[in-house]
Amino acid sequence: MTNKKLRKHHKPDCFYFSKQKNILCFFLFTLITSMYAQDKVNVQGKITDKNEIPLLGVSVIVKNSTVGTQSDFEGNYTIKAKTGQTLVISFIGMKTIEKVVTNSNIINITLEEDTESLDEVVVVAYGKQTKKSIVGSVASIDSATFEKQQATTVTTALQGTTAGVNVMSVGGQPGSNPIIRIRGFSSINGSNSPLFVVDGAVYNGNINVFSPDQIESISVLKDGSATALYGSRATAGVIIITTKKGRKNTAPKVTLRTQIGVSNHTVEPHKILNIDDQFTYTWEAIKNNEQYVSGNDVTTSATRATSGLLEFIGYNPYGPNVPNPVGIDGNLVTTNKIWETDWRDVIFNGAAIRSEHSFSVSGGNENTTYFLSGNYLNQDGSVKTSNFERITTRLNVDTQANKWLSAGLGVTYSTSQQNVPIQTGGSTTSATAWALSLSPIYPVYQRDENGQLMKDPGGNLIYDLGARSLQLINGTRPYAPNQHAYGQLFFNDQNTIRDNISLNGNIKINLTPELSFKTSVAHTYYVNDYYGYSSNKYGSSVSVGGSITQNKNTSLTTTINNSLSYNKSFGDHSINALLLQEAYKYKYGELSATGQGLIATSNTLGTTTTPTNVSGGDVLHRITSYLGKLSYDYKKKYFVEGSYRTDQSSRFAKHARKGDFYSVGGSWVVSEEPFLKNNNILNYLKLKASYGELGNESHSGYFLYLTPFIAGSYNEGNNPGVLLAWPNDPDITWEEAAATNFGVDFKLFNFFNTSVEYFNKQTNKLFYDVPSAPSTGYSEFTTNNGSLRNYGWEVSINTQNVSNKKFEWSSNFNISTLKSEIIELLNDVNSGDTNLQEGGSRFEFYMREYASVNPDTGEAQWYKDILDTDNKPTGEKEATTDYSSATRYYTGKQSIPDFTGGFNNYFRLGNFDLNILLNYSFGSYLYDSDYALLMNGFKSQGTAASVDLKNRWRQPGDITNVPRLQTSPNSFNSRSDRFLFKNDYVRLKALNFGYNLPKDAIKSFGASALRVYFQGDNLLTFQSHKGVDPEQGFGSSTNQRALGQRIYTFGVKLEF
Amino acid sequence: MKNIKIVLIVLVTFNITSCEKDFLEEPQSTGLPPTVIFKSVEGMEAHVSGMVRWLRIGGSVDAASLNSIYYARSVKGNDIINRQTFFQYDYDHIYRNDPTWRRTTFTWSRLYILIDEANVFIEGAENSNSVPDVSKNPLIAQAKAMRALAYFELALEYQHTYAYDPSLPAPPLYTEPSVNTGPIGMSTIQEIYDFIIEDLTFAVNNLTEDRISKSYVNVNVANGILARVYQTMNNWTGAEEAANKAYGGVPSNALFPGEYNNGFDDITESNEWMWGAIQTEDQNQGWAGAPHVISDHRVLSYYGTFINNDFVDLFTDTDVRKLFRNHYNAAETSYRHWVTDKFDFAFDADIPYMRTPEMILIEAEAKYHNGDTAGAHNLLYALQSNRDVNAIKSSNTGQALLDEILVERRKELYAEFGVEWFDAKRYRKGITRTGNHRVFLDLEPDDVKFILKIPQDEIDANEFIDPNVNLGR
Repeated sequence: MTNKKLRKHHKPDCFYFSKQKNILCFFLFTLITSMYAQDKVNVQGKITDKNEIPLLGVSVIVKNSTVGTQSDFEGNYTIKAKTGQTLVISFIGMKTIEKVVTNSNIINITLEEDTESLDEVVVVAYGKQTKKSIVGSVASIDSATFEKQQATTVTTALQGTTAGVNVMSVGGQPGSNPIIRIRGFSSINGSNSPLFVVDGAVYNGNINVFSPDQIESISVLKDGSATALYGSRATAGVIIITTKKGRKNTAPKVTLRTQIGVSNHTVEPHKILNIDDQFTYTWEAIKNNEQYVSGNDVTTSATRATSGLLEFIGYNPYGPNVPNPVGIDGNLVTTNKIWETDWRDVIFNGAAIRSEHSFSVSGGNENTTYFLSGNYLNQDGSVKTSNFERITTRLNVDTQANKWLSAGLGVTYSTSQQNVPIQTGGSTTSATAWALSLSPIYPVYQRDENGQLMKDPGGNLIYDLGARSLQLINGTRPYAPNQHAYGQLFFNDQNTIRDNISLNGNIKINLTPELSFKTSVAHTYYVNDYYGYSSNKYGSSVSVGGSITQNKNTSLTTTINNSLSYNKSFGDHSINALLLQEAYKYKYGELSATGQGLIATSNTLGTTTTPTNVSGGDVLHRITSYLGKLSYDYKKKYFVEGSYRTDQSSRFAKHARKGDFYSVGGSWVVSEEPFLKNNNILNYLKLKASYGELGNESHSGYFLYLTPFIAGSYNEGNNPGVLLAWPNDPDITWEEAAATNFGVDFKLFNFFNTSVEYFNKQTNKLFYDVPSAPSTGYSEFTTNNGSLRNYGWEVSINTQNVSNKKFEWSSNFNISTLKSEIIELLNDVNSGDTNLQEGGSRFEFYMREYASVNPDTGEAQWYKDILDTDNKPTGEKEATTDYSSATRYYTGKQSIPDFTGGFNNYFRLGNFDLNILLNYSFGSYLYDSDYALLMNGFKSQGTAASVDLKNRWRQPGDITNVPRLQTSPNSFNSRSDRFLFKNDYVRLKALNFGYNLPKDAIKSFGASALRVYFQGDNLLTFQSHKGVDPEQGFGSSTNQRALGQRIYTFGVKLEF
Repeated sequence: MKNIKIVLIVLVTFNITSCEKDFLEEPQSTGLPPTVIFKSVEGMEAHVSGMVRWLRIGGSVDAASLNSIYYARSVKGNDIINRQTFFQYDYDHIYRNDPTWRRTTFTWSRLYILIDEANVFIEGAENSNSVPDVSKNPLIAQAKAMRALAYFELALEYQHTYAYDPSLPAPPLYTEPSVNTGPIGMSTIQEIYDFIIEDLTFAVNNLTEDRISKSYVNVNVANGILARVYQTMNNWTGAEEAANKAYGGVPSNALFPGEYNNGFDDITESNEWMWGAIQTEDQNQGWAGAPHVISDHRVLSYYGTFINNDFVDLFTDTDVRKLFRNHYNAAETSYRHWVTDKFDFAFDADIPYMRTPEMILIEAEAKYHNGDTAGAHNLLYALQSNRDVNAIKSSNTGQALLDEILVERRKELYAEFGVEWFDAKRYRKGITRTGNHRVFLDLEPDDVKFILKIPQDEIDANEFIDPNVNLGR
């Protein structure tokens, strides 16, 4: 099975170019029976919005019957009904209205926009609720949001559009998923990732298998009451993804969309010195070495620097006629060069192509609905050869079999292939490490001693591996000899193929009009198939004859639940109850093998001659749960809700397995009270509060309570070998979070919708990897220890600024604040740049404080405490050039932002529309280790150097904060707040400019809507610290990551 | 109708509850419980094998395993020059500067993990009633020998030598599994050495020459470690006896000059090798196998090791150990003048930890200290004449004889376990860099640069260690 074959196999013929569109969905038509029932009178009319724009596809149903129809392009409909019957007219985003059929057989209808959205239904845990009835905190986005940005992974669309959700898209590899944190960081060592639920079932596959056009909505459950029903896995919040379904009594609707884009990079990387400066600066560094470290006089030092320069650099782009490119005066002899390499240009893809094509067909009759979609995506990443290609399909069918039985089935099949060259980290095989920090002195292709390009017998250029030790000049590269991170993009291969099949089936039985029983089974089978090929001709595996690793991981998740639900209204009272039993089963299996010694050009594992590694095993994880929920409201004015869930998880020892979780919440719609009703200024006011206790069982170690002997990795020759794993707490149990939420929703002057929420979430019994003294033989011990508090405000404002027939303008602004505080910790815990202590933040940098350069010596300095005779700090501090003796201080600077959010504006002028989405983040700090490396002052041989070295110390008396250049080892650029930068940014995340062709123009070829548009993603970034993409993850440091992508796309969307 | 509904519901619910009984009781993945290990000889052997493997399991080039600890010592002296590549920070004596840097954290944690594994094993084996003493004592003896080795290396790296002041604070001394004790504070050099001697005494009394392979400890290896320990303690009676037992006492049976230029890569065809890491095609350190990976200039590797002109000059042309070449046609003043072909690099190149010539020279050194000058002459000549047919028997006495023995040690053992550094440290001599070095940095006698700092993560997490323990280091 070669990848090349698969790649071909996976490429679809573009479905939608088929002229026979009916063939596409013919099998669906078999599902649809009698669409149009006939009756007595022909009622007809026109349906428009308040601006008299005809509405297409509005559903018109005769109440309490199976008769229904839809409006056509001009908003016209015809339906047969009897006098006295009621027509129900409904359309998404509009208020549903009812009209009684009178003697007149013409009924024109104007639908009003449902701006209050209070009757809008949102998906919540195990069901749906109107917005008005929600007592907790739920944010949601719908399909309209997806249409206005390139959400290759659907969850990216949450960024900037939902308050309280911090989304970070790191790097430039398409198909990699954004990091999502809901209301902060509830755990320190456990998982902080939200729980994903797709169409009602917990989802463990990769979220990148879904395409945005298949998604109806994403709900984010944030507070205790909203998430409590997923109690045992909900401390980090829940994201519920709901796929699109057909609608009853609608004619088949076909949507085709195609878009082609090209991308470059979000930002420019740090500026670096050119070759000429590299040479003179390196000369200076060697001279300094001789002068200040070895103690030679200036002349000797300069002479030695001139004569030793080429031996130090190894390459001579000035050619053999210039044996000493820099004279003893420190100036270049010539600036004529044979080559100069722009590694960024070589490695980054400045014109990455993205294309996406999709089609969908949906519809339904009075009993059955269907939705079928197919999507093809091919996107190049920001590093050359990086790529993501995906085909995904979704089918949803729901049917009402008879009066008491209904059933539904959803199927997703997705297959994707991702080529992920190493593009993070400082490894010498990382493409980005080369692009961002390799000196331009080193050539891409092999050159002889005279600097001339060399060719193989076939006349081809040869990648310069920099490990030809016999060629004294242009032979040995001091940085990463025998590696070629650019060449290996082509001669090596890192491919991941993912296949995902998800099935959701359910049956619902109405026992009485109020009581129903539902059982559902969800099943996801996910295969992650990694293939790594390391060439037998080039690079690091040559000596073993090449190497192939194949890694096949499968995961199988099955969730079965049975529920009874009861809904009853009597008078002003409504009751809603749910009882549910759930069984969750997860099986993860891994099989990995490596073989070395490839036969000629073979590239399959089976043809390797030496098997070097085999590993594998299964993890089985199970949870059983019982839960109940009861909600009650009085006059749709007072709402109360409570829930309880009990879980047992196999991740804990028998005695620590059980967890109980519950929540309560209530809300009061004040504007329904007589004193506020019909108030012209304050149109709506709702207060709400909730409290819930939640759990988390998730930690990267699967069965933490066990301390087994580990086999497999410690065999000695043919003798089996084992070592004891690091011990953990055998009594370890659930992390517990207590989440409180207060909120107020109000509407002013009929257009200004605001929602304000305050949250406070405290996690107790944290999973804590307590650092252990390494002398104990292990460096950490995982137990339940400490508690953590996250709190903050969320404000979101929606306004309909202008809305008339010609022009429309609406805005959404949201802002969220977050503070994180450690409430309780057994003892202070130091790990690298943080020092956790009670009352502090786990995100505060704790490091040495830079004290600029010693003007006399040019050495870097840091502060250290002056100690008294008992070795206790006196409170005074002094500068020292001895890095290790410098004191680490709390900097008061945090790696998480003070506030984040987004600002969206939508404009429509006639048939043109424009949507602009900005997102922003303020108050965080970033440790820029990439920049620190570029400031190493030629201590790290072969690296590029920042242009900021021009401010370096050069002679005694110089006042600067850039230390002297020096090739011998030194601590000058060691970690300190010198490289800690404020990381504020505002980003034009998405801009969508479209034109909808007039209906008359497209009617002639049978289309109902045709839209052409330009879509721009990440077009502009305004940032306080330039040179790196501001989205660097929450890990507080840069890490030689690929740049993000700025994408320009043109697209067409056609409906008929 | 209603009946059908009920039947349906009951069917579904029944299906689910019936399988729930054992739902949460599931088999656990990879890993064996301690009961399996300590119930049988096979289980115990597997744990000992794991510890043996731990001594050579790979990592980063300068922080792979025991071999990296040894090679880092080699580049701190005068005989070897290191290019700017892995180990350059050791060559520049700077790797010790920061207590968070890899040299100090790696050496510490790598050895302490071995110590805790050995402690767990020794406790588990001693408490096991399923295996008779006769079967388990040789296994306990191996664990104790490895534990002694780990403490010996820790004491060498993290404090002045024993002869300087045995009452100085030394790394913590765990004599049982750390789960029983929690972290403990610093010990003293004297306590550590007493414990090492106790362990090694048990080892030599309970081991024979039998072993699974030459990567395991047998009685000869245990004696060899003991000889090195006594050398450090200036216990010359003990050193003489242990060294003699280690190589068998007959130099001609223990020396094979024809093997010296075999590439130092195959333990099975190297009869002088007493102990080493056996690398195979599927179990190796890859690109981390120092000294081979750093010193071989003929195949792809790091090309890091160059040899000082002054050291090369110590060898006569007829010495089988003179394996130096001017590989790069470099000028005599260039540090790249000489390379050595002593080590052939390949992933499966075995790595030596201990060889018989060392033991012969320890015995010679001990005899010198014990006043047996003739005995020292004989042993020294046994080796010298074996290596060089034109060798002349020494007539040196006193310090000159000792110096000659120490020079012979360097010539024989360079780049293996850091012989020059080891000798300078235990004799409190210092090292002066001469010749064509890339960086001239000297070590004074008892220089603080002979000592690594206590790792910062240890200080941070161990409340029993004074936060100022590194002051003056």
